[in-house]
Amino acid sequence: MKSREKWATRIGIVLAMSANAVGLGNFLRFPVQCAGNGGGAFMIPYFIAFVFLGIPLMWIEWGIGRFGGKYGHGTTPGMFHYLWKHPMAKYLGAIGIVIPFALVLYYTYIVSWTLGYSVFSFTGKYFAVESYEGMVHFLSAYQGKEINQHFNGLGTAYLFFFITLGLNVWILSRGISKGIELLAKISVPLIILFGIVLVIRVCMIGTPDPAYPDRNVMNGFGFIWNPDFSILTDSKVWLAATGQIFFTLSVGFGAIQTYASYLTKKDDVVLSGLGTSSTNAFAEVVLGGSIAIPVTVAFFGLQQTQEIAASGSFDLGFFAMPLIFQKFPLGQLFGTLWFFLLFLAGLTSSVAMAQPLMAFLQEEFKMKREKAALMIGVLILFLVQPIILFLKYGFLNEMDFWIGTLGLVVFAVIEVVLFFWVFGAKNAWKELLQGADIKVPRFFYLIMKYITPFYLMILLAVWFVQDGISVLSMKGVPEENYPYIWFARFLLTGILISMVLLVRIAWQKKHPTREDMAR
Amino acid sequence: MTLGGWIFMILSWSCIIVLIVFSYSKILSSESNKDK
Repeated sequence: MKSREKWATRIGIVLAMSANAVGLGNFLRFPVQCAGNGGGAFMIPYFIAFVFLGIPLMWIEWGIGRFGGKYGHGTTPGMFHYLWKHPMAKYLGAIGIVIPFALVLYYTYIVSWTLGYSVFSFTGKYFAVESYEGMVHFLSAYQGKEINQHFNGLGTAYLFFFITLGLNVWILSRGISKGIELLAKISVPLIILFGIVLVIRVCMIGTPDPAYPDRNVMNGFGFIWNPDFSILTDSKVWLAATGQIFFTLSVGFGAIQTYASYLTKKDDVVLSGLGTSSTNAFAEVVLGGSIAIPVTVAFFGLQQTQEIAASGSFDLGFFAMPLIFQKFPLGQLFGTLWFFLLFLAGLTSSVAMAQPLMAFLQEEFKMKREKAALMIGVLILFLVQPIILFLKYGFLNEMDFWIGTLGLVVFAVIEVVLFFWVFGAKNAWKELLQGADIKVPRFFYLIMKYITPFYLMILLAVWFVQDGISVLSMKGVPEENYPYIWFARFLLTGILISMVLLVRIAWQKKHPTREDMAR
Repeated sequence: MTLGGWIFMILSWSCIIVLIVFSYSKILSSESNKDK
């Protein structure tokens, strides 16, 4: 077997996994979810989901990844082939390449907005826009949805997209230790440093306008943390906490397995997985919860913050925050820091999303690293066009629902069932504990076997009933958007079929079984 | 912020910081043991 790339250091792999997990959601989605679902009381279902769903899934994905790496496979078609002796296994594994690849198509574009806004903060481009409505039009024109005095087309958006995509390709072409690991070693400390600087700055704001004494940072923290226990009887809150844990840890899309496949079979996965989960929780709860919402309450007051939070994370990040930076002393500097922090968090995640396809092309088609990276860059450039051009017709939202919401949970269910029920709970448990640096309490065996899949299936069923049926039937979608929605579905189906065909082609040459390898 | 808010914030932060210190101290010590 040809020797595969390896991580250079233990801390490097943990930072790379953490960089993969820490993304835009830590800084934008978490505070909105927490504030809208019972404040401090939200942390009860959040921590329960962390223990019963997040950490077990993290360990399972690390375990599957290291297991596949032993057989020379960095992607789930190969991993599933060795977990389940069935011709279907490799095709199920194809989903673990389709999901991250489809995600990276639109995620790279969204990440490029944060780079753009970082530059706009530095140059003060949006500093003349003084109203919330104005900021909505600013972003709208940047995205090409309208033409106004700020932007007269998509030129600027394309420029930042090319830079972001170019960086992705360059990092991927440098490989695991010199590309992804080095990026993580630089970006994770920077994200934490920028985050701490912003938290300190937010805490120093106090009451920015003495005419409104209620608008202060302490009330902002109160908005996030004051517990409302009555909300705990509402199943929606438990579902929101479970969903947040699921998204924030970046589980369910094949990237963790690919990263873990570059471990050696003696490397620990348990402590490293725990380190990854705790770094992500720190970035989310301690840093993410202390920036956007408290500062928005201090400048806009409780009522308007509630309205902004209810409209979603993007409104908070791209409309409210740029307005606030204009009222800050040194606002250009702090605005640059905030958006650059988001950019770094997003860039490290987008690289992780592209790596499964990289590994697949390198391992199954013997493609050179640089060529594979370039090919992925060209593919993204080609396939992102409808996302950019048809954004206003709901193209991106449609892709995000099927891939970024439902697809992740479906894939997580598949991998948990395959690992703990098909491969066998005892084999899976033995695989996880191999080389473990800490002892795992035995009750996690039962959690992984019964509770984690149960949790996931409930999440999947509720989301499908709650949102899936209305998305499928295009409820509330304007009629003129129908062709674009169908185009998005056609594109996703096309990517899935292409990947299944590629797996089929790759498997035409002999892939030995586990028993063959053991001989 | 209410007393309940303070308690939840401090408890949540403490849990996460304890977890992070525990895991990174073990990771770093295992790495330095390997170097030896």
